[in-house]
Amino acid sequence: MNAPWTVKHRPKTLADIAGNKPTIQQILDWLDLWKKGPPKKRALLLHGPPGTGKTVSVEAVANERGLDLVEINASDKRNRDALERTVGLATQQTDLFGRSRLILIDEVDGINLSEDRGAVDTIVRLVEETQVPVILTANDPWDPKIGPIRNATTMLEYRRLGLRDTLPYLKRICEKEGVEVDEQALRLIVDRNQGDMRSIMNDLQVLTSGRKRLSYDQTTWLGFRDRRATIFDALKTVFTSPTCLQARRATDMADMDLDMFFEWVYENTPRQLSDARDLCQAMNALAQADLYRARIDRTRAWELLPYALEMETAGVAMSKEFTKPAWVPMKFPERIQLLSRTRKMRSMQAELGKSIAARCHISSRRAISQYLPYIKYVLNTNPTEGARLVRWLGLSEEAMEYLGVKPTPPEVPAPAKEVEPKRAKPRTAAKPKRKKKTA
Amino acid sequence: MESAMWSEKYRPVTLAEMRNQVNVVNRLKRFAETQAMPHCLFAGPPGSGKTTAALCLAHDLFGERFMDAFMELNASDARGIDVIRTTVKEFARIATISEVPFKILVLDEADNMTADAQHALRRTMERYTDTCRFVLSCNYSGKIIEPIQSRCAIFRFVPLAEEEVAAYLKTIAEKEHVHLTEPGLRALTNASEGDLRKAINTLQGAASLGKSIDEKVVYEVVGKAKPGDVQDLLEIAMKGDFLKAREKLRSLLLQQGLSGKDILKQIHSEILRMPIPEKSKIELIDAAGEIDYRLIQGADEEVQLSSLLARLALVSSQKRSS
Repeated sequence: MNAPWTVKHRPKTLADIAGNKPTIQQILDWLDLWKKGPPKKRALLLHGPPGTGKTVSVEAVANERGLDLVEINASDKRNRDALERTVGLATQQTDLFGRSRLILIDEVDGINLSEDRGAVDTIVRLVEETQVPVILTANDPWDPKIGPIRNATTMLEYRRLGLRDTLPYLKRICEKEGVEVDEQALRLIVDRNQGDMRSIMNDLQVLTSGRKRLSYDQTTWLGFRDRRATIFDALKTVFTSPTCLQARRATDMADMDLDMFFEWVYENTPRQLSDARDLCQAMNALAQADLYRARIDRTRAWELLPYALEMETAGVAMSKEFTKPAWVPMKFPERIQLLSRTRKMRSMQAELGKSIAARCHISSRRAISQYLPYIKYVLNTNPTEGARLVRWLGLSEEAMEYLGVKPTPPEVPAPAKEVEPKRAKPRTAAKPKRKKKTA
Repeated sequence: MESAMWSEKYRPVTLAEMRNQVNVVNRLKRFAETQAMPHCLFAGPPGSGKTTAALCLAHDLFGERFMDAFMELNASDARGIDVIRTTVKEFARIATISEVPFKILVLDEADNMTADAQHALRRTMERYTDTCRFVLSCNYSGKIIEPIQSRCAIFRFVPLAEEEVAAYLKTIAEKEHVHLTEPGLRALTNASEGDLRKAINTLQGAASLGKSIDEKVVYEVVGKAKPGDVQDLLEIAMKGDFLKAREKLRSLLLQQGLSGKDILKQIHSEILRMPIPEKSKIELIDAAGEIDYRLIQGADEEVQLSSLLARLALVSSQKRSS
């Protein structure tokens, strides 16, 4: 067998690429923006199922525009150092011949968080600082670990290729290879591969090797590749199934973390079920599912999982009764983003709670609800007095900064401890509480 | 220049300085005089002087430097059974070297301890009675398991009367050179509902404006210095905008750091006054109770509370259409 057709017939020009023409045009338009200096978003994230032409179209674009393409993909080691060496250099320079560069970071969702340490942060920084266009690709752009990358880039979707996109292209290749393939056979191959051009080419090469002609019958033995349905298919199942049994299948369709699946359903339920009656019932079902999950967490009783899954799929599906049908797009679970965005803030809150608790003989929970609002109020109306109060609490510099207080202002040179009022004894607060923290 | 939370700055140091809870304080004074006391359970609403009484008692027993023989643990922060097994035991089992033959361990907000932890505590209390006395404080003594209640002398703290709160506030205002008008004082005592801590915090907030404190100033502080706007949350939900209500809830939980329990408590306290059919109120109360229990079981705060918001949105939409 000669070179794999996927290599041999790899498109070199944009005209050779099957399908997704509008998306490719968007890439070109975006590159044009660079002529006037870096645009607001300096990177594109091309996402879509495998074999839809993401990488190939970037290569063809570089080829046609005469750009020097610097490429890094999943098989390369992508930890921070490696990335900074290669991409970091490339973002700041043109090549030896003065050609402009284009950087391609392939399969960013394939980043291994433990091995490619710091990779996500580095990519985000590169994308923000780059002087040359950067294009990233991913199969699953909703992967939580690349959330920060998603926010820093413009997303363009590659759709699965249909028969209209693929058939003319495949016929051309068969012609070049000198094999005759029945149209029915071609259709079957395309269909079975759900428009994945790479696997179509592989199958076609295997089936035609040693043959001059390929008939429909000869292709039927071809095995199915397992395709994972996207989360969107699974959600559609949850929100449109007429029966419990059908809705229940959603969790089998989505090859994803079950907790993440719950978040998707929870996020989108109020968007999909606009009627208050339906929504109330669906939210109840979700709360019930959540309760089962909590019980599983506590008792490790995994046999409860089916109840949780049924409530969050069938339970939601059966709630849809009065909502008028309308097409509403699915949204990525915002809570996940907010959780990571507010992580620092929350740890700050916790620290504030602890500091206040240690000083005021109260639990940190109550410190947050009963003291913090007053402290913030004083800071707001009387910053000088507020700053003194904050210093009295003995907060860390970070926490002070969080509250907007400079750690060591010139007008109060004395450290916090000496500002302590005479009447408040050096009692309990300091020592016993500290014991607790270390416990 | 001196600065502190006034609620700490003006916290009484000795039992003699405590002006309220006279019956309780008198008995505690006897403990200090005779240097003998049983385990105690202080029950009463927030801001009624439970922690202060425990601190004053320790001061009167051990003197200024009572840290070695005294430990204060907050049960809501450290409520697990591990803390009882390690920290508490560690402190309780080592005898003190002072002339008072025992140490004092204060467990604040003990009603937030899990039942398991309470049972573990009960054994510890029994075993180390010779070396350590426990003072448990709680809002409701009913939440403390009976075996512990039976081992403690129970002291009931009543909410401070308005005159008592007013007297404290006047003293503080004088010492801080704050001009407190009569209507301002009335507004403060009114808004504090017998919770002295809240009253003093509000006073300090009002004083930060640097002008004479009248009714208007007090209500501004009360209105603005709220832990989170639950009222607002409920209004959005009742208008039927569930998505916006959920967003608000999310920000209360994640950005303002409120606990789901605190939010639920505030919602619950509003239910009876809501402009919805009486029958629906019962439904909501039942749902809130169920959710409270679920949160104890470790369920997700946002998911559970938003199911309550969805119900509220439904109830109000039915009212609108009828």
